[in-house]
Amino acid sequence: MKQILLITDGCSNVGLSPVVAAAQAFSDGVTVNVVGVLDGGDIGEYGAKEIQEIAHAGGGMSRMVNTRQLSQTVQMMTRKTVVQTIQQAVQKELKSVLGGSGALEELPPEKRSEVVRVIDELGETSKLRVALLIDASASMKPKMAAVEEAIRDLMLSLQSRQGVSELSVFHFPGDKHGDDATLDLDWTTNLSGVQSLFPKLQMRGTTPTGPALQQVAQYYRESMEERRRGGEEDEMRSGYVG
Amino acid sequence: MATSAKFDLDRGMVITGKWRHRRYRVERMLGEGANGKVYLVQQDSRLMALKVGLDTADLQSEINVLQALEKQQKKGNGGSPFLYDVDDLKLRSGKEYPFYVMRYVRGTKLPAFLAASGAEWFPLAGYNLLLRLADLHGSGWAFGDLKVDNVLVADYGRVELVDYGGVTAFGKSIRQFTEIYDRGYWNAGIRTSDAPYDLFSFAVLCVQLFEEKELYRLTAGTLPQNRGTAELLRLAQQSQQLKPFSGWLARAFAGGFRDAAEAADAWNVVIHRIGRPSKPVPWWTKALFLLSAAGLAASAFWLAGGFG
Repeated sequence: MKQILLITDGCSNVGLSPVVAAAQAFSDGVTVNVVGVLDGGDIGEYGAKEIQEIAHAGGGMSRMVNTRQLSQTVQMMTRKTVVQTIQQAVQKELKSVLGGSGALEELPPEKRSEVVRVIDELGETSKLRVALLIDASASMKPKMAAVEEAIRDLMLSLQSRQGVSELSVFHFPGDKHGDDATLDLDWTTNLSGVQSLFPKLQMRGTTPTGPALQQVAQYYRESMEERRRGGEEDEMRSGYVG
Repeated sequence: MATSAKFDLDRGMVITGKWRHRRYRVERMLGEGANGKVYLVQQDSRLMALKVGLDTADLQSEINVLQALEKQQKKGNGGSPFLYDVDDLKLRSGKEYPFYVMRYVRGTKLPAFLAASGAEWFPLAGYNLLLRLADLHGSGWAFGDLKVDNVLVADYGRVELVDYGGVTAFGKSIRQFTEIYDRGYWNAGIRTSDAPYDLFSFAVLCVQLFEEKELYRLTAGTLPQNRGTAELLRLAQQSQQLKPFSGWLARAFAGGFRDAAEAADAWNVVIHRIGRPSKPVPWWTKALFLLSAAGLAASAFWLAGGFG
């Protein structure tokens, strides 16, 4: 299972539309969730609409929260998306076996029980990757401590799962000129050795949300290919639910 | 994913299950959980609790846990069933929601109970809560989302757990939790279900009962990396009611109990220590001690003699 979690506080203003980028990612089997961080600041009607649309296009969900609720929201969204992704895969199977829409609601309650047991089991044990994409434009500066806390908290929840869970972190705009996003942390299963996620962050003005999303999706593709070359069998499994 | 659709069941409304056609009359709302609403309903003048879920998979997952628990309890002591019915309901808007019907538990929350009955009931209510947790732990489950809202106390400190949405088999990741009761939040461990997870939450709950304001100040004013159990323990030591339990709480915060049964035994030891304040040692105890000391000396002499 593959997820991108975008944390932002405003509108994109450079390059490709983030809605298109999210739709592309979803076609590649990556679900995109978005959290809008408010904290007194005003995202505005346009920003709020964009956040919602990115999530829609990315097959995920969106939430607007204050930094205090950030950890819990990030954790909850990731968890729910796992269940949802698996539910969709199971629904497809059910549809081909039973006909109808394959929706759980069409089954009588006593039959749902077994299906949900399978969903829960897969949700707990399948391999999961979450790439965090952090808006590091100037207005996010006072929120970065909360963002880092939320990332560490998410890692803790992921570590508590039975299945292998990995996390990576990007911020945008990138540090080098012309870079849409910069990789802060490559796939990892543990953050306890990492002192600071964003040690020398230069907060700049532009918000290239779309190109940054595209870059993370590309990163997923590359690491997939690397794995395939490495001949890892696990990908087959995540391919099933992904 | 839970739809954000809001629904309300009004008093007097009659609900008919779509599959099993059982009918319930709504009395009032009892509470709102993370994934649905719980109502007090009546069927043939019997009161029951009915939980309506926002998401079918989510609620079914909770029902699966309840059914598994019920099966285990039937094998054991034949405890009263708490799951009566599972079905879907259709609102006038045409929208359908899943629901289940369970035993209705009468009671008040711990803070209200202690305010009404007095803090001297705290040790017993705590003990009874530990016994409830011990039932779950004995079957291989953690309660998960242990908090003030999910504990009801009836007369004489009898305790029942409500809202089983967080119940998780040992070894899996906790399904539902609340930050301040979560050991991960206090940098004291991961969120994999085990018995010490619940006992940690229990200990936070104790602190909350007597040092609520200080606890909230701690959560608001401390940097995440500085949050720790030492701070919680410091609060416990400030409280007159918790002081006798501070050794117990320290052990719970450190994950030092195997399960709630062991923790309940240790809690009981503290209760009896409070009940029996240290008195001056009566003369006959001293006499008995001297006598046995003399006996010991004599037998030691005899042993030495035997070998010599």
